Amino acid sequence: MRRFWTVFEFELLSYIKNKSFMITTILLAVLLGAVMFLPRFIDMSDILGIEQTVDNDKQADQDSEDADEDSQDIAKLGIVDDQGFFTEKAILEQAFPDAEFTFMKDVEELKEAVESEEVEAGFLVKDDLNYEYYVLNRDITDENQIIFNEVLSLIHKQIYCAENGIDYATFVEGYEAAVECEEQILGKDAEDSYWYCYVLVIVIFMMIIMYGVMIATAVTTEKSNRSIEVLVTSIDSTYLLFGKVFAGAVAAVVQVGLILGAALVGYSMNHTYWGDKLDIILDIPGNVLVAFAIFGIGGFLFYAFLYGAVGALVSKTEDINKVAGGIQMIIMIVYFVVLFQLQNPDGLPMKVCSFLPVSSYSAMFVRIGMGSVATWEIVVSAVILFVSVFVAGWIAAKIYRMGTLRYGNPISLSKALKDLKKAE
Amino acid sequence: MKLEVKDIRKSFGDKEILKGINFSVESGKALGLLGRNGAGKTTTIRILMDVFHANSGEMFLDGKPFEPRKVQIGYLPEERGLYPKRQILEQMVYLARLRGVSKKEAIANAEKWLTKLQVDQYKDKLLETLSKGNQQKVQLASTLVCDPDIVILDEPFSGLDPVNSQILQDVVRELIGDGKIVIFSSHQMSYVEEFCEDVVIINHGEVVLSGNLMDIKREFGENQLVLSGVGMTAEDTKQIVANHLADLVEVTGTSKEDVIVQLLKGVTRNQLLKRLTDIDEFMVEHFETYKPSLNDIFVAKVGEEA
Repeated sequence: MRRFWTVFEFELLSYIKNKSFMITTILLAVLLGAVMFLPRFIDMSDILGIEQTVDNDKQADQDSEDADEDSQDIAKLGIVDDQGFFTEKAILEQAFPDAEFTFMKDVEELKEAVESEEVEAGFLVKDDLNYEYYVLNRDITDENQIIFNEVLSLIHKQIYCAENGIDYATFVEGYEAAVECEEQILGKDAEDSYWYCYVLVIVIFMMIIMYGVMIATAVTTEKSNRSIEVLVTSIDSTYLLFGKVFAGAVAAVVQVGLILGAALVGYSMNHTYWGDKLDIILDIPGNVLVAFAIFGIGGFLFYAFLYGAVGALVSKTEDINKVAGGIQMIIMIVYFVVLFQLQNPDGLPMKVCSFLPVSSYSAMFVRIGMGSVATWEIVVSAVILFVSVFVAGWIAAKIYRMGTLRYGNPISLSKALKDLKKAE
Repeated sequence: MKLEVKDIRKSFGDKEILKGINFSVESGKALGLLGRNGAGKTTTIRILMDVFHANSGEMFLDGKPFEPRKVQIGYLPEERGLYPKRQILEQMVYLARLRGVSKKEAIANAEKWLTKLQVDQYKDKLLETLSKGNQQKVQLASTLVCDPDIVILDEPFSGLDPVNSQILQDVVRELIGDGKIVIFSSHQMSYVEEFCEDVVIINHGEVVLSGNLMDIKREFGENQLVLSGVGMTAEDTKQIVANHLADLVEVTGTSKEDVIVQLLKGVTRNQLLKRLTDIDEFMVEHFETYKPSLNDIFVAKVGEEA
């Protein structure tokens, strides 16, 4: 065990002595911490959407400026209204405040105007429930139809009321009465936890991708500088690999911890200046943080060992990506599945993912944060994960030992496993 | 201490690399493993160091199974390598600690060997900032930093300039003097001849010759003589031998003006000398016992199939 710590200390020092690693850590921690202090010194109410008491005159000036700006981009729309629903333009102007309507006599004129881009788009009203919409190139943000649907539906209601002798005002009052609801959440509010779960899934994903390659590189380094032969003849290769992987994991956790910690501390000191706007990301409940730490570290170690094995399969650091492709693919798939299922934390895909060692690191803590999960499920998933970590570590150490003197072309992970089986 | 290697066999795939290697070496002695490139020297050393597992065969240290990680071994692999981006003292202390040496002792040993090899002024520098020759010295110092009982050096002289190989020779002599077991492989015969009491010549994975170097030389030179005549080339002498002495000797080699001959069975030196003095055109210049160099023995043993 003492020799494991010797390896661990030596490997950890290699991160600490690495200038770019230290500079990145300190710089990011200081920067992110400093950002949290910004609203204390700079008025960020516009960006944050915090209401502030502003001088009435100034507000008026601001409004008129806004109006001036708006007038510059008024949309031109055409309309063919044979039925005469829109004899008063008021209803259209109200619905389309940023548009100017031109009445046209028939569909031909409308089409011509749209094609020649005289107008941006046009409506051919057939009756109070039917119309045609003409546009040259439909924009993805085009909302004209949605608005016009409402306008026409309003007209339809008015006509209906008139035909049936109902007072329109009474109808609206009765038909569109507001429903009042007082929310009583007894479990978890997914809306509250959605954003920090989202952020944590990204954080753990980035950690695995970034530091995994770093660990693989640390393993390959000894093959590329040829010191591996002295090492494996001095100490059991299992200690070497475990020392390296744990040192990489500690470096990663310390780096991410310092950066995130700086942000959290900075925010907690300044949250009133932020109008508590970042609570959705930064006010993370303790149990979710603990789950994140346990499953995050487990998942990280699992992949770190796989990356360690990958590092042992190549002899040049530039070859790492060739062999790491498969692992990266799995990580990406897990990442997207979890993100897409974030709104459905109790669904089957999330349940399955929360038990698989390749995905429980993010799926289980999302379920803990957003869904309902039984304690036994958490325990079983954690046991599966940590057993898998040690199995992965054991296999990786074997591969590491086997790959010691294999120089030349990278060996694929599946071939290494086959050779391992044959050797046993 | 006595290290014994018995009938080691190793195959890679279908190819048999070692076909039964045997040798033994004791404390205070050096063993030279000789062989041409690809003969199996490095594979033998790697099996000894447990980098590879042998398919069969045994290794003993003082009669007990030999486990390289349980004995202090200084190993200089054929593939040299240290950490180019780490400080020299730091990595030497690391390597010693991996072998179970305490930190304090590791620092003392590292400084001792760096000083002996005249590179102590670089101990706080990164390895990559040193010249290649000095890096080699650091590598050797790292090999010895654990204060080993057994020192295994795979091609230690390759790439060393004459001054550095002199330093290495002094170190090897000191190790032998300190009662260590020293095993080294080389194809530079002169060095092996200088230190090694015992040699093992490996060819195509087989031991073709092994034993005490003096005995081997004596045995190899037995009944062989060096002949030369005044003012004669080796070719002239060979001609004389062919014309007048074919019933007494046969030519086994030449060296500059000398011809090496082997006495045929039952023939004595005096008979040969008598016959020589009867040959009018031949004035004897050299008539002496042939003392082969290791190089001669090596070439004779493994060179012929080259």
